Amino acid sequence: MSGARILVVDDERQILRALQTSLRGAGYEVDTAETAEGALATAAMRPPEAIILDLVLPDGTGTDVVRELRTWSSAPVIVLSAVGDEREKVAALDAGADDYVTKPVGIDELIARLRAVLRRVTPSGEPVLRIGELQLDLEKRELRSAGKPVHLTPHQFELLRLLALHEGKLLTHRAILQEVWGPGYGTESNLLHVHVSQLRRKIEPDPARPRYLLTEAGAGYRLVDPTSR
Amino acid sequence: MSVDRHSVLLERRSAEGLARSAGGLLVSAALIAAVTGVIFALREHVPVLGLSVLYLLAVIPAAIAFGLATALLVSVASMLTFNFFFLPPVHTFTLQDSSNWFALAAFVVTAIVVSELAARSRRRADESALLAEIAGWLLERGELAGELDRIAGDAARALQVERATIVVGDGEPRPGPGEQYPLVAGGRRVGTVTLEHPRQGSAAARRRLLPALASLLGVAIDRERLAREALEAETLRRSDAVKTAVLRAVSHDLRSPLMAILTSASALARADLKLDRDDERELVATILGEAERLDRVIANLLDLSRLEAGAAQPEPEVWPVDDLVAQALAQLGEEERRVEVELPQEPPAVRVDAQQLERVLVNLLENALKYSPGDQPVRVQVVETANRVLVRVIDHGPGIPSQDRERVFEPFQRGSGGGAGAGLGLAIARGFAEANDARLWAESRPGQGATFVLALPRTQP
Repeated sequence: MSGARILVVDDERQILRALQTSLRGAGYEVDTAETAEGALATAAMRPPEAIILDLVLPDGTGTDVVRELRTWSSAPVIVLSAVGDEREKVAALDAGADDYVTKPVGIDELIARLRAVLRRVTPSGEPVLRIGELQLDLEKRELRSAGKPVHLTPHQFELLRLLALHEGKLLTHRAILQEVWGPGYGTESNLLHVHVSQLRRKIEPDPARPRYLLTEAGAGYRLVDPTSR
Repeated sequence: MSVDRHSVLLERRSAEGLARSAGGLLVSAALIAAVTGVIFALREHVPVLGLSVLYLLAVIPAAIAFGLATALLVSVASMLTFNFFFLPPVHTFTLQDSSNWFALAAFVVTAIVVSELAARSRRRADESALLAEIAGWLLERGELAGELDRIAGDAARALQVERATIVVGDGEPRPGPGEQYPLVAGGRRVGTVTLEHPRQGSAAARRRLLPALASLLGVAIDRERLAREALEAETLRRSDAVKTAVLRAVSHDLRSPLMAILTSASALARADLKLDRDDERELVATILGEAERLDRVIANLLDLSRLEAGAAQPEPEVWPVDDLVAQALAQLGEEERRVEVELPQEPPAVRVDAQQLERVLVNLLENALKYSPGDQPVRVQVVETANRVLVRVIDHGPGIPSQDRERVFEPFQRGSGGGAGAGLGLAIARGFAEANDARLWAESRPGQGATFVLALPRTQP
């Protein structure tokens, strides 16, 4: 996946330069922008395969950029947020960002997240999703864990299906609720927490130490393949 | 506003009183004359003594409309008129018959009874008007304390006492002249009213009025307390918001250099990145530069607290200005290359604390570099005048709107183009400038960036 073109947006020049040099060293082609306007212009002229986006920009928020970007681009977006930006972070995710990292962050973590979002861009198209020991057959609506069939309620199946189709991606509470329960939902986080906890008891070897279905505090959930981490 | 309304009301009342008694006498005289005319016309057909009862038609209206005094006056006048015109000896005031005394007594009794009934209903009307008025004041105006004297004055009139005083609170006030009555509303004592020199009939008025007065005061007191609590909550919320903003700004200023350092160092630490020598040098330079910036942010925070605590005592010495500028430039790291310096032929000298003045210049330069586009230089211009040395730091940023030119020197303020940092630099620059008898202000040419001017008192070297 190296060689992909990445757009990095941050108003701190030093951060921008350090990211540019490091990501170039990791084999990516890097474009940069310092403002929301610059980010949108660069993304339009040289469409990137992924975007690393600071939440606080001099002429707008990262959320504004994501919202605008999503009207014509589906390139994955990783938001750079700081402690204290929680609300803005969730807003950006709801607006269509794919993941977030909290500043300050090392290049290792950033490259790992970048690889994850770039991998997801190409869906397999197969009816059976394999995530670690889990096999989810979307056509037969069946789940097998280490080969043994597991019974799921319709809501649990839909929840797992949504998370599995976006493997590795952070999905916000609102996004999950609206997708699985319908557009009238969005704030009933308790409902979601209960279903996640029930689902964990069925898919996790140790529900107290989840390895597949991870909680991102204050933001949402993500399903990961523990064998590929 | 209600003060005006109140005094107008009082004036109107006393004027009305005067006009009413004058009008009362006129109307009564006319009524007596009319009744006398009617009796004169009827005296051939009806025994004249029986006709005297017609004078009640003058006494009753007077009692209802103008009160007991006028009614008594009308009674006596009616009796005298009847005596003068119709009772023998006619055209004298001599009374021969005891029946005349009887007629007079009947008039007087009627006058007293009717006027008392009328006065009572008038008092009730006055009381409800008073309560409505008090309710109006209390609802219109927030401050109960300012209205108490006025309310007490009106209550004194309605309660028929010479003086009334109202004290708000559930405590027992100190005993003084007059009788004290607690004002109780909703089962709790809201205040105390003291009444001095009650007139007759005031007890009944008191029983009617005081509970109503107490409920009104209770409502007003509750309202005042709620308004006060809302204000306190709002103040708390605001100071919380300020704290949050300060924390976020400081965390941004600390975390941004840290992020650049962490990114660069972790890139250098990875074996699998393809970095050439230039890349590595650049990453190392970023680490060093940002570590220094981090140090300056921390120094700024410490300086700010020292300045705010008044603990930044300068140790002045005589320095050539170009030396101070050079020392400031040396602290900027790589960014120093973007600064152009214009010095006069003979560098002027100033008497300042070199470390503090360096901080002023470094902060001004950092601010200018931050707001200037990357390809634009920042200029430092040193100019001498008769008794001052002016150091100008000129940038090509977005400029500062005139209404913000002072605000930028307040801590935790930041221009619209500046992102999320704490913006301590300019506040500290001004603090140190003033500690060294210098002045610092901002000028801005619209669309052409900002100029910060540092005016130092000149010293002979």
